[in-house]
Amino acid sequence: MKKFLAMLLVAAMVFSMAACAKAPEAAQPAATEETAGETAGETAGETAETAEAPKDGKVYKVAMICDSSISDGGWGMSCYNAMMDAAAKHGWETAVSDSIEQSAYFDTIDSYCTLGYDMIYAPGNQYTDAVLQAAAEYPDIAFALLNGAADTPAKAENGNVSSLLPNATQIGWIAGALAGLMTETGTIAFIGGMELDTTKGKYEGYKEAAAYVAEKAGKTATTLDIVYSNSFSASDKGIEFAKAMIDKGADVFFGDASAVDSGARQAIDEYNAAQGSVKVFDIAQPADLLGQNECIIGSQVTDNSAMVGSCMEAVEAGKLGGDVIYGTLENGALSAGAVSDLVPAEIKDQYNAYIEEMKAGTFMK
Amino acid sequence: MSWDFISNLLLASVRMATPLIFLALAELYSQRAGLVHIGLEGLASIGSLVGFLVSLITGNPLLGVLAGAAAGILVNMIYAYATITLCAEQIVYGMAINIFAPALASFIYRVYFGAGSELVQVSLMETLASRMGITANGFIAKLFLDQTPMVYLAYLLVVFTVIYFNRTKSGLNYKAVGEYPKAAATLGIDVIGIKYTASVICGALAGIGGAYLTTCYTTTYVDGNIAGRGFIALAAVIFGRWNAGGVLIACLFFGFCDALQIRLQVGSYNIPYQFFQMIPYIATVVVLAAIGMKKAGPKSCGKPYRKEEL
Repeated sequence: MKKFLAMLLVAAMVFSMAACAKAPEAAQPAATEETAGETAGETAGETAETAEAPKDGKVYKVAMICDSSISDGGWGMSCYNAMMDAAAKHGWETAVSDSIEQSAYFDTIDSYCTLGYDMIYAPGNQYTDAVLQAAAEYPDIAFALLNGAADTPAKAENGNVSSLLPNATQIGWIAGALAGLMTETGTIAFIGGMELDTTKGKYEGYKEAAAYVAEKAGKTATTLDIVYSNSFSASDKGIEFAKAMIDKGADVFFGDASAVDSGARQAIDEYNAAQGSVKVFDIAQPADLLGQNECIIGSQVTDNSAMVGSCMEAVEAGKLGGDVIYGTLENGALSAGAVSDLVPAEIKDQYNAYIEEMKAGTFMK
Repeated sequence: MSWDFISNLLLASVRMATPLIFLALAELYSQRAGLVHIGLEGLASIGSLVGFLVSLITGNPLLGVLAGAAAGILVNMIYAYATITLCAEQIVYGMAINIFAPALASFIYRVYFGAGSELVQVSLMETLASRMGITANGFIAKLFLDQTPMVYLAYLLVVFTVIYFNRTKSGLNYKAVGEYPKAAATLGIDVIGIKYTASVICGALAGIGGAYLTTCYTTTYVDGNIAGRGFIALAAVIFGRWNAGGVLIACLFFGFCDALQIRLQVGSYNIPYQFFQMIPYIATVVVLAAIGMKKAGPKSCGKPYRKEEL
């Protein structure tokens, strides 16, 4: 009986874990319809109609791994939607494993490789080591590393890794310019998930842009030191960080911490509700999240979908990697999302002017 | 260091300690009946998810908490049956619960919400001040009034537990089962019954601890939101010397250390943030070393009880 119970538990555990990964859509037509409708912003029928037919008749498959949840209301959600949009456009099948532990990065990638996936999409610098290890073992599979370093593709011995590299400094600029214009206390804040190069780049860009535009507006904008939650899922830490930073006088927030950012927004909304008016704001990324929380006044938008789509096209053409695909304001991969009505019209105009300067390469020059 | 800093730090400590108190009391009730339960993380995970779902569906966070407790009990019955009736290894089954229950929670979430990526948020339980229609200003008012009923319940449970284990016959019988079950059985105490009761209490409290996170603390459910609290609670029971009062102090201490590291990171002291993040762990090591390990836990902890054995 004891052995039977142990076996039953193990079997249940295995089935549960297997079920956590989204099955290939061909195997789950009902789920496909729902997913395509929800994430690509189109109905399943439309998606099927607009999808480009694979050139060689083969149905390609892409799998995404993510250490945060795809329903985190931030990074994970946006990256997942980017893959779904690109897959819908190119007619690829998709799978995702989210909320995975660091110790499972490689094993999860390895599982998808052995299942015959054509491309692995890893949205984060933290997956670099696991991706390079898997790329060495699976030379016929393409790996797309979002926020990978510029020199990462060169490190892949089989040339099958591409870095999708949104300009972190420019991402910080887009948020920082709005923060610098909107701050009334002169103190703004940034919450990081883990100490990644891209996170530090976003922080530095946010800090310098805010200080610059505030000075132009005749005030100051000081950014509190970057803090790290050491997790992308601890939304409670986001609440506590936001409360502590509000106590320090911060009135505009930006972050790079997935569900932790959602926690911070909850604390900001609660603070604003207690004050009776919206005095503390948040700027979201990397998708347009205006309306998700009352405190969100704008978003930095990264068109990850176009970059993932470029990788898909390369795979269809027989090229598995070796590229660094940059995402910048100049090439349109980075942009500013819609701005809330909480932002006065005059500030909106100033902000749009700064965005144009960024696109023209004249910002802070 | 200003009064504002200290008062906000203390309020944050209370917020962060509350789920730990539920979990640590769950462990205390389990260990006092001789059942070492390292599966609190799993029980809290399923409680957190079920609490979130029921709160979302019914719009009533209190029902969410009750459902979280029920889910915790249900999952803990696997552990109870295996370790009490089948006399299986407690550590192994505790670990099995830790692996199984979070995966089950993740599975249920995916089944319910599909593979969609929308951020689902629920309304949190109202604080006492909010229910009374007043604004809590000042430290004392915030500490005593600006809390959800679950916070008061946590502290009342501590008081109840202290009285129950030290001042009631039933509590002494319960402790006897954890110390020397065969002797307890000779006195007519229903050892098996008490062990099952302990499992029900443990499952309920751990489930409530998890549900607290998604009905009183954060408006969202995210996989991994228990974030090691089950293991911290385990340490709190040892730290608290298997007494409810000590467990409360240990939980407040862990909550304080975590709140402190967050506030010090924000403090811009030009010290690497890693140093602040070490504070809870360094403090634990120092305090455990300082108070010593002379007093061990209930003597039958971890040992299976077989009626027929001499």
